[in-house]
Amino acid sequence: MASSDSTTTVNNAPGGDTTRGDIPSVDTPKTADPVTREIVLGSVRSIQGQMEGLIERTAMSAFIREKKDFHAGVFTAQGKLIAGKAKPSASDLVTPIFGEFPPEQMKRGDIYWYNDCYAARGAISHGPDQCLIAPVFLGDTLVAFAQSWAHFTDIGGMLAGSISPQCVDWFQEGIIIPPVRLAREGQLNDDLLRMFIRNSRFPSLVRGDMRALIASVQLGERRIEELAQRFGAAKLSAAFEDILARTSRVVRQRFRDLVPDGSYRFTDVVDDDGHGSGPIRIRWKMDVTPDRVTLDASESDNQVRGPINYLMNQTSPAMAVGLMLIGDSSEYNINSGAEALFDEVKVREGSILQPKFPAALGQRSVTMMRNVAAWMGLLGVASGGKASAAHTAYVIWNLRGRDENDKPFLMTDGVAVGYGARPFADGHDAIYSSDQENYPAEFVEGVYPFLVRTYAINADSGGPGRWRGGCGVVREVEVLSDNVVMAVRIEGPVNPPWGAAGGMCAGSGRCVINPGRADERVLAPLSDGNKVKRGDLLRIETGGGGGWGHPHDREPERVLNDVLSGYVSRASAEKDYGVVLSVDGSDVDAEKTRQARAVRPPVKPFHRHEYQESFE
Amino acid sequence: MSGDLKMEPASGCLIGVDTGGTFTDIVFLDPVSSTLQVSKTASTPEDASLGFRNGIAQVLAETGVSGSRVGRVLHATTVATNLILERKGPATAVIVTQGYRFMLEIGRHNIAKKANMYTWVKPPRPVPVPLVWEVPGRLDHHGNEVEPLDEAAVRAVARELAAKGIRTVAVTLLHSYCNATHEQRVADILRAEIPEVMVSLSSEVLPVFREYERCVTTILNAYVSPVVSTYVRRLEERLAECAIKAPLLLMKSSGGMTSTRSAQKKPVETALSGPAAGAVGAAFIGASAGFRDLITIDIGGTSADIGLIQDGVPRLTSNGMVGDWKMAIPIVDILTIGAGGGSIARATADGGLLVGPQSAGAVPGPVCYRRGGVEPTVTDAHLVLGHLLPELLGGAFKLDLPAARNAIENRIARPLGLSVEQAARGILDVLDHNMVGTMRVVSVERGFDPRDFVLVPFGGAGPLHGCTLSRLIGSRTILIPPAPGVLSALGLLVSNLRAEFSRTCLQRAGHYDLKALSDTFAELSRQAAAWLDNENVAAKDRKLLLQASLRYKDQGFELDIPWAGGEVTPAALDATVKAFHDMHERLYTFALRDTPVEIVTLRVDAIGMLPAVKLPQITARGSADQARVGEQTLALPEGPVMAPVYHRERLGVDAEVAGPAVLTQLDATTLLLPGQTAIVDKYGSLIVREVAG
Repeated sequence: MASSDSTTTVNNAPGGDTTRGDIPSVDTPKTADPVTREIVLGSVRSIQGQMEGLIERTAMSAFIREKKDFHAGVFTAQGKLIAGKAKPSASDLVTPIFGEFPPEQMKRGDIYWYNDCYAARGAISHGPDQCLIAPVFLGDTLVAFAQSWAHFTDIGGMLAGSISPQCVDWFQEGIIIPPVRLAREGQLNDDLLRMFIRNSRFPSLVRGDMRALIASVQLGERRIEELAQRFGAAKLSAAFEDILARTSRVVRQRFRDLVPDGSYRFTDVVDDDGHGSGPIRIRWKMDVTPDRVTLDASESDNQVRGPINYLMNQTSPAMAVGLMLIGDSSEYNINSGAEALFDEVKVREGSILQPKFPAALGQRSVTMMRNVAAWMGLLGVASGGKASAAHTAYVIWNLRGRDENDKPFLMTDGVAVGYGARPFADGHDAIYSSDQENYPAEFVEGVYPFLVRTYAINADSGGPGRWRGGCGVVREVEVLSDNVVMAVRIEGPVNPPWGAAGGMCAGSGRCVINPGRADERVLAPLSDGNKVKRGDLLRIETGGGGGWGHPHDREPERVLNDVLSGYVSRASAEKDYGVVLSVDGSDVDAEKTRQARAVRPPVKPFHRHEYQESFE
Repeated sequence: MSGDLKMEPASGCLIGVDTGGTFTDIVFLDPVSSTLQVSKTASTPEDASLGFRNGIAQVLAETGVSGSRVGRVLHATTVATNLILERKGPATAVIVTQGYRFMLEIGRHNIAKKANMYTWVKPPRPVPVPLVWEVPGRLDHHGNEVEPLDEAAVRAVARELAAKGIRTVAVTLLHSYCNATHEQRVADILRAEIPEVMVSLSSEVLPVFREYERCVTTILNAYVSPVVSTYVRRLEERLAECAIKAPLLLMKSSGGMTSTRSAQKKPVETALSGPAAGAVGAAFIGASAGFRDLITIDIGGTSADIGLIQDGVPRLTSNGMVGDWKMAIPIVDILTIGAGGGSIARATADGGLLVGPQSAGAVPGPVCYRRGGVEPTVTDAHLVLGHLLPELLGGAFKLDLPAARNAIENRIARPLGLSVEQAARGILDVLDHNMVGTMRVVSVERGFDPRDFVLVPFGGAGPLHGCTLSRLIGSRTILIPPAPGVLSALGLLVSNLRAEFSRTCLQRAGHYDLKALSDTFAELSRQAAAWLDNENVAAKDRKLLLQASLRYKDQGFELDIPWAGGEVTPAALDATVKAFHDMHERLYTFALRDTPVEIVTLRVDAIGMLPAVKLPQITARGSADQARVGEQTLALPEGPVMAPVYHRERLGVDAEVAGPAVLTQLDATTLLLPGQTAIVDKYGSLIVREVAG
């Protein structure tokens, strides 16, 4: 399938074993009986939850224990994901260790570890994510893997927090751990651990967090072993194969129901890399024929100097689209079976989605989240609007300084955004990413020298539509310390998330110091080294998601409720939705609304600042 | 004796009333004649106090006892739970610190665990934004005032609420867990401006840090306040109608009883009243047979409640949920899953078998109930396999075996290519493993080995599954209570008065302030003593339990550790810290003994011992042969076998039954597997063990 274009590399799915021929067809299912399969699926889901619960309860950095930036998974002996967190991320976390450590040489009690994004082909896409893997044996037979990862607060590098918008080289973003063996047959390699901990600015947090991750994979190993003892290796393996095959079948069926044969294109854009390289375009092409589905992003722009390069794992598109297609079905789960969605995923080495070593990767979420939106755009084009509108990347601000006892502190505060409206519901208001949580104000004020003054919904940041895009938030923090340095990451102020199927685009985010005061200043959306001082008020406003469907089709009662609840201004209700409220604002003025809606503005499939057929 | 618990002559009869969704269970105990009478009546959801009265009247009529001989009435209610789940409470306003009007909307800015981000829809908040008001005034995390409370602003809000006719208000101000003065001032102003207002303060409901969780619990408390107050008053009227003058006590989620007066102050504490009563009942019945470490599973029609009893005491948690909402007050650690006798089985288009969480409920019910149910349920599977008799005891109710068989054949067996028996067994296997998964969470995940625990299955469907579940979880002994269907009501009779008082008192590692600890414990103990005074508990019947929540420096979750000894001394502190390391190791597989430990929240549990209740011994003297009433074909995995059927109430003390066997009684059916034997103890419990092989 190699392309004739020499600048294009063809990347078959990793391991080369997720092509069509390997997926059992409907009439030749594997042999696990339905009851065993159901029990195994329930068990691995429960084990995955237990592993995450252990990390949550024992980890030490706020980033993991409060913000909950971690993930556990259960994998087959071949490294296929069976049960993981329901989020659009790569499934191929285990096979990166196979090069250095072939499965046949692994031993019970081993634990493997890496954060090397390039070695992992983007399965881990920035360095702070430490990935641990424990093989599971029944007797001498390798039956599965338990895996956990978490985002570590600081692993060395140029600046506290390791990843900064200022980084232009991967080596500035902290220590690199190629696939190594952290434990050999139950014996932990303390030297390796000490070396890693010595590289952090917050060694005691790193020690505690590593301990939590180790305990988590060990717990997973024990629980999966018990499961294997109950069913035997062969029956467990058959059940795993069945679970994978079932997910393959359902996502492919649903994809075919949604998308007719044809060739489709969609382009989305990242504003900038913080170093003046923008705009940066992500261009996707999808070819659907009766027996093949091909994705091609090779026409995307080149990699950039700033750290927003996204080393996209080959499994990522199918995992994201598969998650959407599986939806609420409780009988299916998202697993490596979804990789069968796409027969081929083409990316070009040196492009924004496949940067060359050692391009900086730290802020890759900017591109990663925009790319997930681009897939929704592609599906929207292919399905005549039956996919959700766009969202923006979750926002982060870093505040570094010294507290009243002259101890260094680093607050990495994740701030929620709004998500795109869907063909059946509004977008999420004020969500960060999956089940990750915010820092309570009472936690922030107890640990860091700040007062959280305001934490509110950012009105009108959700794109208007039949279904409204989710709204972002406003967070205001007063500084109680001298000499604080601040990094900020806000995506999409110039090109906010688009609306779909007649819905309008979202509002943008921004970060402003001392709003309304004489010394007011707006920060660059992706920047570091911003100095702030005692008494300054830092205000961050985050963007929303795009709307879906014509805003005039939204029920006036919903619009009224949005106005009364502070999500939509009265002005936007009139201008965008054609809904006029009574003089006191407590009710809909039905007659004036009818008049306002008598003239229905024409719409096009997409909207960003104006309606467009598509984006280029 | 003045100040003593005035509720009884020791001869006073006890009545426990457990209101459930479909039935209200009543247990009556006459300590003089040692009569234990069990009764059931239909629940009356439109006015639950009606079913309460009907049940009491019924049991008094059955026993011929007059209301004046009743010494205590104990009640588990679902009023608060239903209000929360069905969102049927009154308009409730929330007052928060300026800048936090959207605290509920934003929450923890997450989607629900395990939810799919593409399909998840945020559930409506317990209070909408237009009913949230901000007031200026700030405290810092030490409780120091940063800005004074703007009383004029509070008054303006109060007047607006009064004008809108809102009478229920929750107040959550930042850092009120360490300084309640601002919240108390808000309450004063509200009460001055709105005479009949009901105010819930977060500093009283849950003085613990993390504002969103504290706010939600406070709101739920406010939300259920008016209805629970009215309900409690109505219950007292109903007792008067039955000529009962005895005191009424309510079961709290923590497994302790409380007076109606206390319940009106913190009504949210009754949200898990019924499940807590079940846990207490299981602990009691276990202890009566000499077992103090138990895993309990209460299987009803739509759900199963699973818990763990350690050393005779149900475990508490502060991480519970009611519906979509976190419930951060101490509640009995019970996990509920959608698995019960009415759980519906479905074959999926591509060969999967799903069981639950959808339930056929009481209506239309299982196919075999002939009430219009067409989808096969767990009960239908039991009937097809012979676990249930076609004619339930009492004879009034005949089950439709052919219809159940047809439903399983057409909807499960044929689509999946299985025999009817395989399909029925598959339905039960999936359900059993689902329950075992949760049993492992409450045991293994909490650091306990289920093999050391006795399994207590109860509820209408519990004894049908218990003997299979025990094999799956590896527990060696099963205790099946004498009346499995009404164990929760029995739990009401044997519980004690109980209240919890806690406060955050952060002690950084290496800087333990013994005086602050001692002062906080003293203050909490004073509150506890005042509560016991209020409940008229005599000095000899009082018990105070001290505990602290600890964590390693920089961790975010704490473990509750009993405070070693009653005093705050360096030795007691060391012992408590050591107990923390040990528990961390047991729960999480490792301890960090060189890492500093922090103390976060102190808690004092006040216990008022109620007069001990003695369970009457059974009077039946029959041997197994004498109790045998027939036989039944069981479709076991190894093939069909004829199994004897026993009438459980005819089995005398020490009667021994060998599996396979079916034991029937009014409120439950027990399935005994081959290789298991059951012995009847003096209280009528079946003690089931595996025959040593």
